[in-house]
Amino acid sequence: MVRRTSVLTRRFFRRSALLQIGLVAAFWFLGDWLGRRTGLPLPGGVIGLFLALVVLHVRGLPVVTMKRGADRLLADMLLFFVPAVLAVLDHGELIGLTGVKILSVIVISTLAVMVVTALTIDVCYRWTERHAAAS
Amino acid sequence: MLLQAEWVKTFWTAPLVHAAAWSLATIAFYLLAKRLYRRWPRWWLMPLAVAPALLMIAALALHESYGDYIRGTGWLVGMLGPATVAFAVPIYEQRRLIRRHWPLLLAGMTVGSITAVASSWGLAWLFDLDAALRLSLLPRSISTPFAMEMAGEIGGIPDLTAVFVVITGVFGAATGEIVLARLPLRSALARGASLGVAAHGAGTAQAHRIGQTEGAIAGLTMVLVGLMNVSLAPILARMVN
Repeated sequence: MVRRTSVLTRRFFRRSALLQIGLVAAFWFLGDWLGRRTGLPLPGGVIGLFLALVVLHVRGLPVVTMKRGADRLLADMLLFFVPAVLAVLDHGELIGLTGVKILSVIVISTLAVMVVTALTIDVCYRWTERHAAAS
Repeated sequence: MLLQAEWVKTFWTAPLVHAAAWSLATIAFYLLAKRLYRRWPRWWLMPLAVAPALLMIAALALHESYGDYIRGTGWLVGMLGPATVAFAVPIYEQRRLIRRHWPLLLAGMTVGSITAVASSWGLAWLFDLDAALRLSLLPRSISTPFAMEMAGEIGGIPDLTAVFVVITGVFGAATGEIVLARLPLRSALARGASLGVAAHGAGTAQAHRIGQTEGAIAGLTMVLVGLMNVSLAPILARMVN
């Protein structure tokens, strides 16, 4: 669609991050609608992500029509988590001993997941590299 | 004087004004925290820790409840939807790397997920937490929409799970860089997947700061690990109940 429009629109689309964020949001909107329509137990964002990947893969849209907008969204993604953190205000029971216990579970388990995942992949990586070098 | 106070109160409680004020405050505190972090990059000055802390102080000072706050700023959390779609770009750009190394990523995601669920369950049991809390803790390392879906499925409290997910993300993102720097890692794949699997979106955002490849891999593994967990939740539910 974009490919057929004039060079001028294309150039504009490549420069405007806001317009590109709109395009990315359109994929999310479509994904959300599809999810609701089909009853898939997947978040709209994930369906939208797959749709966008398919469109990029079949070259329906060149990647430059989304690159700037996507980069901008990803660079400030942490902002979107900030309001959710304030949910702690509503859970007084998390303060005190139970809170300390829960926090310990989260801290230890998260560290374990990080270390185990990283080491698993790295060990496999070295193994395949050595294998590739040997053969 | 009283009249003026009354006027201020009516103005302040008008939904649109209220939403705009809290949204602006949230964005402003975030930008401020980001600037602070750029100046002094210490883990405890992470924007995801500093901005909510400042907002919490403001909310407590103004006697504002979380319900009122989120009604005005929920749209910001909603932006996580488009942000998830945005990962299509880095994933597409790294498609060659992903196609070449997908067995590694799959191994990492499987082992990581098992570690997440098993260690949460074991530690919660060790600390003698009750069943509802224990179940709510299981899905914490996957992103919020998936985690809430999974918590409901296995009999946890989705609301509490959402809080645990956020705490996990904050902690993982805050310490990830330090932990990964201390491990003898050779590949960007390991760093990216580690953050994506352990600390979902917040970890992924942090991975994106470390590098392009790390960010793409983290985004991909975050999404796939979420999918994997949600689809395995019914089996897990039968195991824990």
